[in-house]
Amino acid sequence: MTPEREIFWMISEAWLFYAVAALALCVFVVGVAAHLSVWLKSVPKSKVPFSGQALKRTILDVFLGLRVLKGEVAAGIMHALIFWGFVILTVGTTLLLVHEHLVAYLVGKSHIVFELSMEIGGLALLAGIIWALVRRYVQRVSRLERVAEDAVVPLWLLLVVGSGFVLEGVRLASQQPPWDHWSFAGSWAASLVSISTAQSTYPYLWWGHALLSLGFIAVIPFTKLFHLLGAPAAYYFHHSAEGFRQTSAPSQELGEAPLDLDEAALSLGETPLVLGDVAFYDACMRCGRCVQACPSTGAGEPFSTRDFIQAALHALWQEHSSVGDIRFLTKDHPIDTLVPWYCTTCAACLEVCPVYGATFEAVSKKRAMLILEGTGVPDLMNQSLERLFNYENPWIASKRERSAWAEGLDIPALTRGEKEGQLCYFVGCTTSFDARAQEIAKSFSRILKHAGVSFGILGQKEPCCGDIARVVGEVGLFQEEMENCLSLFDDYGIEEVVTSSPHCFHTFLNEYSERRFGVRHYALVLRELIADGRITFKKPVNLTVTYHDPCYLGRHNRIFEEPRKVIRAIPGVQLIEMRHYGPDSLCCGGGGGRVWQGPEVRGEARMGEIRIKEAHETGAEILVTACPLCLTMLEDALKTLGLDRELKIMDLNELVFAALKQEANPVGQSVLPADHPVHP
Amino acid sequence: MNEVLLLVESKGGLLDNKTLELIRGGSDLAKDMGLDASAVVVGHETSSLAESAASYGLTKIYRLEHPLLEGFQPDAWVGALEWLCKQITPRLLIISHSFVGKEVAPRLASRLNVELTADCISLRVDPEDGLLVRSKPIYGGNAIAILKVEGIPQIVTVRKNAFEPMEPVAAKSEVVEMVPSLDESVLRVKSLKTVEEEVVELDKANVVIAGGRGIVEKEDFELLIALGKAMSKAHGNVMIGCSRPVVDKCWMSSDHQVGLTGSMIAPDAYIAVGISGAIQHLVGMIRSKKIITINTDPGCNMFKVSDYGIVADYKDILPALLKKLEERS
Amino acid sequence: MKEPNIIVCAKQIPDPEAPFSNVTVDVENKEVLVDAPDVISPYDENALEAAIRIKEEMGGKITVLSMGRKVSDTVLRKSLAAGADSLILLEDPEFDRLQSQSVGYVLSRAIEKIGEYDLILTGRQAGDWDSGQVGLILGELLGIPSISLARSVKVKDGSVLVEKTVPVGYEVVEADLPAVVTVSNEVGELRYVARTKLLGLLRRPMVIPKWGRKELSLEAEKLKTVGLIELSPPADMRRECVFIEGPTAEDMAGKLFSVFKELR
Repeated sequence: MTPEREIFWMISEAWLFYAVAALALCVFVVGVAAHLSVWLKSVPKSKVPFSGQALKRTILDVFLGLRVLKGEVAAGIMHALIFWGFVILTVGTTLLLVHEHLVAYLVGKSHIVFELSMEIGGLALLAGIIWALVRRYVQRVSRLERVAEDAVVPLWLLLVVGSGFVLEGVRLASQQPPWDHWSFAGSWAASLVSISTAQSTYPYLWWGHALLSLGFIAVIPFTKLFHLLGAPAAYYFHHSAEGFRQTSAPSQELGEAPLDLDEAALSLGETPLVLGDVAFYDACMRCGRCVQACPSTGAGEPFSTRDFIQAALHALWQEHSSVGDIRFLTKDHPIDTLVPWYCTTCAACLEVCPVYGATFEAVSKKRAMLILEGTGVPDLMNQSLERLFNYENPWIASKRERSAWAEGLDIPALTRGEKEGQLCYFVGCTTSFDARAQEIAKSFSRILKHAGVSFGILGQKEPCCGDIARVVGEVGLFQEEMENCLSLFDDYGIEEVVTSSPHCFHTFLNEYSERRFGVRHYALVLRELIADGRITFKKPVNLTVTYHDPCYLGRHNRIFEEPRKVIRAIPGVQLIEMRHYGPDSLCCGGGGGRVWQGPEVRGEARMGEIRIKEAHETGAEILVTACPLCLTMLEDALKTLGLDRELKIMDLNELVFAALKQEANPVGQSVLPADHPVHP
Repeated sequence: MNEVLLLVESKGGLLDNKTLELIRGGSDLAKDMGLDASAVVVGHETSSLAESAASYGLTKIYRLEHPLLEGFQPDAWVGALEWLCKQITPRLLIISHSFVGKEVAPRLASRLNVELTADCISLRVDPEDGLLVRSKPIYGGNAIAILKVEGIPQIVTVRKNAFEPMEPVAAKSEVVEMVPSLDESVLRVKSLKTVEEEVVELDKANVVIAGGRGIVEKEDFELLIALGKAMSKAHGNVMIGCSRPVVDKCWMSSDHQVGLTGSMIAPDAYIAVGISGAIQHLVGMIRSKKIITINTDPGCNMFKVSDYGIVADYKDILPALLKKLEERS
Repeated sequence: MKEPNIIVCAKQIPDPEAPFSNVTVDVENKEVLVDAPDVISPYDENALEAAIRIKEEMGGKITVLSMGRKVSDTVLRKSLAAGADSLILLEDPEFDRLQSQSVGYVLSRAIEKIGEYDLILTGRQAGDWDSGQVGLILGELLGIPSISLARSVKVKDGSVLVEKTVPVGYEVVEADLPAVVTVSNEVGELRYVARTKLLGLLRRPMVIPKWGRKELSLEAEKLKTVGLIELSPPADMRRECVFIEGPTAEDMAGKLFSVFKELR
C-alpha cells in the first residue's frame, strides 16, 4: 500500500470546511487590510523604491533570525523553534492543498518525508511554545509582560499544535497505516487510545482542530501575531532606508532616504511619519529588550520605551481607523507630556530591537508635536531654545565668549573667501562655553599644533550645528541652523571639518541634507595622526584607563575601535573595559537635550552615576571620554558620588596631550598638567 | 506747599524700619529746601503709631483716619492720600519702594497729574530750580539714570537702605487728625481671603548663607542649613538664601531669593556659596557689611565684590568648617 | 458671560538676560547699548500666557498692544504665534523715552480707540526700567479697577478673580470687569513658540495696524519725555578681597572660622 493520506477521511461536509476556511481567510485579509489602511493613512506620500539588496537582507533577517538571537541566545533558539515549526507546518499544509487539488504527488516516499517533516515541525513548534510559556510564566523573565494577550496567543497556538497531534494520534489509531512509525509522536499518542474511541471521536477532533487552526489564522491581524507580516515589512523598510548613511566624504546629493515629503508638512514643523516608523510600531511584540537596554529605565525614570511605542501605535489606530484599535486584547498606556523629554536618543533600543526599532526617533517626532503645540515644553528647554535661536548656543545669552577658551593659545582664525580649502576645527557650543569642556578644545588645539596640522577656528562666528534643536523636535530651528551653517561654511570655503562633539559630527554627517565638506570627529583625526607618525609618544605613561564609548560616536556611528587604537598607541597605558562597552555602552545621560530639560525631568538615580560606578569597578585610575557632554555629565556624577579622589576623568585629547608633554613619569604620579582644573 | 511729606508704614503696629530711613532722608531734604518735614499715618485707630512717629523730629504727623483705611486696601489708601495731598499740597512726597509704595505711588501720581520716579537710590535737590534730582538703577543695575521731573508734588519711591534710619529725639511732633471723605464706592477690588504662607524674611537675618548655580545637588543645601544652625549660636539670626537659578530649579521658594527681583538685604555677613555674582544678584546683597565667597572659579564676579574669598569646592570647605564650629562650641 | 476680550500690553526691550559684559553705558549720548536682540519683556510674556489660558478656557479674543519709537513686528508677531488674535503697534518718533504717565496716556487712548474690552493684562514691571507703574496708571486713566502682582488670573461671570502676592503670603481678590491686572512670573512661562510657526507667521502677509500720534489724536503736551540729566555706569561695588589659602580644606576652614569670630 503506498503511503498517502486521505485528507477528508471520515469528514462528510468537506465543503463546510472550505466555507469556514474562506471565512477565516476573509477575516484575516480584512484585518491585514485594516493594518495597511492605517499605515497608508498615517504616512503622507512616502515612496519606498524597490531595492534588491534590501530584499536580500530582509530575507536573511527573517530566516536566519540573527536579530532575535543577538544578545539573547535562549530567546533566539526558542524563537527559531517556533519560527521553523510554524514555517514547516504552514508549508506542509499548503503542499497538502496542492496535493489535494492539483497534483497528487504526496505519495510513497514523498508522503513519508512529508509526514516526518510535519512531525518534526510540530514538535519544534510545541517545544518552542512551551519554552516560551515557561520563560514568561515560570521563569518570569523580567522584561516580558504578562498581560492577557501574552497568555491567550501562545496557549491558542499550543492548542492548535496539541490538537493536531491528538488528532493525528486518533487518526493513526483508527487507520493504523503501516508507515505510522514515521509519525512517531502521533503514533505514540495513538497507542493511548482504542480504535473504537478513535473512530468515534475523530470527526469531532478534526473539526475542533480545523476551527482552532482557522480561527488562529483569522485572528493574526488582531493580535501581536501580526508581527508575522509586520516584522518582515519593518526589516525591508529599515534596510531600504539604510542607504543614506554617508561616508565622511563630502556629498552633493540629498543624503536623506529617497522620500518625497510634503513641503507643507515640513513647513509646519512636523516631521511626518514614514512607512518604516509605522511598520516598526505595528511589528512590536512588546519583547522588552529595549526596556532592558534603556538607560532611562535603568535610572528609575518614568520612561518606558515599550509603553511609548505601544501608545504611539494605539494613537495611530485611534486616529486613522474608523473602528479604533482592532487589536482587541491590547491595553492603552496613556503617556504624560513630560515623558517624551526623558529620552537621551542614545540608540540602545535600536541596538537590541529585533525589528530595528528606533524608539528615540519616535520620541523625537512626538517632541516635534509638543514643540509645535507649545505648552508641553519644560521651562528650561523653552529658555534654552530661545537662547539657541538668539545667541547660537543654549548656554548663555551672549556670543562673545564663544572663543574665550582660545585666549593666549594663538589659534588661527579662519578667513573668508579662502580659495584653498581650510580645515575647520568646529569647537561646538558645550566645548566653547563650559569651563570643564573647554579643556578639550585647548588640548586638541595644542595637539594639532604640535603635529603641525594647519587648521583654524570660526571664533565668535561659529554657529550651532543645530543638533539640540533637532533631537528636541524643533525642526524649524534645526533647518535654520543647518542653512546658516552651510552658508557660513560656503562663505569661508571650508572643505574639511573636525568636531569636538560626536553630536556635531553625527549631525553634519547624517542629518544635514547636503554637505559640501568632509567631517570627522577628533578621535578619527588623532588616530590618523598617530598612524601617520605625526604624533609619537616618547615616554611610557603608566596608567590604567577605561574608555567610555559616547553614544553618538559608538552606537550611532559605529566608531568603537579608533579611540581605543589611540589609547593603546600610548605606551604603558593599560586599557580595561567596563562591564558595558562598545555597542553596549551606557549613556551618560547628556544626549537628547537632557542637559537642558530642567529639574522636572529627573529619576531616582542619575545615568551618569551608574556609569561612574561601572568605571570605578574596573579599578582604573582614569576614565577616558571622547565627548564634551559625556565629560561634563560624568564629572558631575563623579562629584556627587564623592569618588573624585579615586577616579579621574580625562578627555581623549587631554590624555594624548599629557602623554605628549610629559617629561618624566614615575609610576603612579598623576599625568595631569599642573594647571588642570581637576581638583587635588 | 511748604512741606516734605512721607508715608509711614508699620509692621505689627510698630514703625517699620523703612519709615525711619525715609524720615532721615526726608528731613535732610527738607532742610536743604528750607521746608518742613511731615509724615502721614494711614489707617484706623492709629494713635499709638502716630505717637511713635512723633518722636523723630518731624514738624507734623498727619493721621488719616477712616474705618475703610483699616489694614491695607489700595483703593481706599490711594483715595485718602489723594484727598490729603489736595488739602495740604506738599512739595515733595516720599514713599518707600515697598509693597505698599509700589501699589499706591503710581496711582497717586496719576491722580495728582505728576510723574513718579520709582526705586530711587539717592535724592538731592537742584539749588537752581528746587527740583528733586533722582538717581535710579536701570537695566538690572547696569546703569544709573539721573533725572528730574517738573511739577508739584515731586513724588518718588525710595529703595531700602538708601538712607540711614533716623534716631529718636526728645521733642514731640504735632499730631493732626484728618478724616478724608471716603465711602464704600471707592473700593473697586474686594478682598475675599488672605492666606498666610511660611515666608522667610531675609532682611531680618544677621547672617545670610546663600547658595547659587554652583550648588550641584538640591541635597547640598543641607550643608548650608547645617552651617546656619551651627553659626546661629554665636551670630544671632542666620538664614538661608539663594540666587535666582535655585528658585528656577524649584529647590527653594522665591522668598529665599536675593537680588533685584528678590530681597534686597544688608546683613552683617553674607556668605555666598557657588554664586557667580550676576549683577541682578549683586544689587540684592552688595550692602552687606561683610561678604565672604566660596567658589571654585577664581575669576567670578563675586570675588571682586567680596571681603574674603576661598577658591575651593564647597563640598570640601563646608564640612570642614562645620567640624571647626562644632569643636569650638 | 460672553467670551472675554483681552488686551495685553507688551513692551519690546533688549534681552534682559544679556550678561553685563554685553552692556555698555554711552555716557555722552545718554544711552544704554545692549549687544543683544530685542525681545518681549519677560513679565509681559507672562501676561500673554495668562491671557491665552483664559482664552483656552473661555474663548474670546486677545489683542496685543506694543508701544515705542520703533516697534519691531518681527519681535511682536511671536505673540500672535503663541495664541493672540491681533496685534496693534503704537509707533511714532514722539513715543521715544516717554515718562510713565505719558506711556499710560498713549496706551489708554489706544485702548479707548479699540473700544470693547473686558480685561487688560500686562507685566508687573518692564525688564529695562523696572518702574512697575504703567499697569496701575492705566487703571486710573481708564477709570477701572486695578490689581497688581497676580500669581493667577481667572475670569468668571463678569468679574476677574486674582491670587496676588502679599507680604504674608497671598491674597485672593475680585473685581468687576473691565479691569486691569499686572502679572508676575508665577502665572507661568509663555508656552514655547516653534520656529516654524513663527516663520510661517512672519512670511504670511498681514496688515498690522500702526497707530501714531495722529491716529490716536494725542495732545503733544501730554507726551512728556523723561528728563534724563545723566546716565552713569553703576557705582563701583568692588572690594579688596582677601583670599584665604591653605594646603588643605581643614586649614582653610580654620582660617575662615577665625574670620567668623571677628564678625561677632
